[in-house]
Amino acid sequence: MNKDCDGALENLYLYLDSELDAVSSEKIRAHLEQCKGCGPAFDFEGRLKSVVRERLDEDVPDSVVDRVRAALRTESAPDSR
Amino acid sequence: MADQADFERDAMQYTRQLYSAAMRMTRNPSDAEDLVQETYLKAYRAYHTFQEGTNLKAWLYRILTNTYINKYRKDSRRPSEVDLGTVEDMYLYRRLGSEESAEAARTTEDRVLDGMVESDVKQAVEELPETFRMPVLLADLEGFSYKEIAEILDIPIGTVMSRLHRGRKAMQKRLWEFAKQRGLLPEDAKRP
Repeated sequence: MNKDCDGALENLYLYLDSELDAVSSEKIRAHLEQCKGCGPAFDFEGRLKSVVRERLDEDVPDSVVDRVRAALRTESAPDSR
Repeated sequence: MADQADFERDAMQYTRQLYSAAMRMTRNPSDAEDLVQETYLKAYRAYHTFQEGTNLKAWLYRILTNTYINKYRKDSRRPSEVDLGTVEDMYLYRRLGSEESAEAARTTEDRVLDGMVESDVKQAVEELPETFRMPVLLADLEGFSYKEIAEILDIPIGTVMSRLHRGRKAMQKRLWEFAKQRGLLPEDAKRP
């Protein structure tokens, strides 16, 4: 652990969430490439984020889409006003 | 100003995402379906107020979130804080054990990530108090920026960041418990 590690870890989520400016982001990327501690840690957190996203994604049933479309049509029909 | 006639063409592409978020908010398919339909109807009626060229997806999420908070929220008496005690950053990663080699460490990480089943992740998110669940859903499921989340939830960016941070920590703690229960952790990492 050195000063660069502290700086990187402090910005872990800002980095993974693409919230850093290009310069800061590049600085961290360069650090991760050569740091045996931070590289795998960031890699794991990034993979975890993708896994969470995948597992939370839900197929929307056709019935829901049909219901929304039907409701919108009823709403827009002139005689429904 | 957006034209109501274009609403279906512009907005229907987000049904899948809105439904996924609605499921995690309401925790059941029937309420999620009602919530999505009500969101679309409200959005349609207000579409003339939508500023064309701005972020339609974020606008729909704002309506979804407000509709949920006003109508479907059932857990207003549940604690809005989460006791994180000494939960540190990278809670899960730090508990994967200290493997001898990078390869062994990677094997453990793969096993834990691959073994994270859908129901566990969903439960870990659904158990978060709402204050934390919303920012986590908007960031991790939808990939909204902090600024967009601040606008959708009508809270300052600093609040988004701290809630997201705490929410993710609480989620990691829960995911670690699930991994432990499912026997995915190396022996030396199982002790709390």
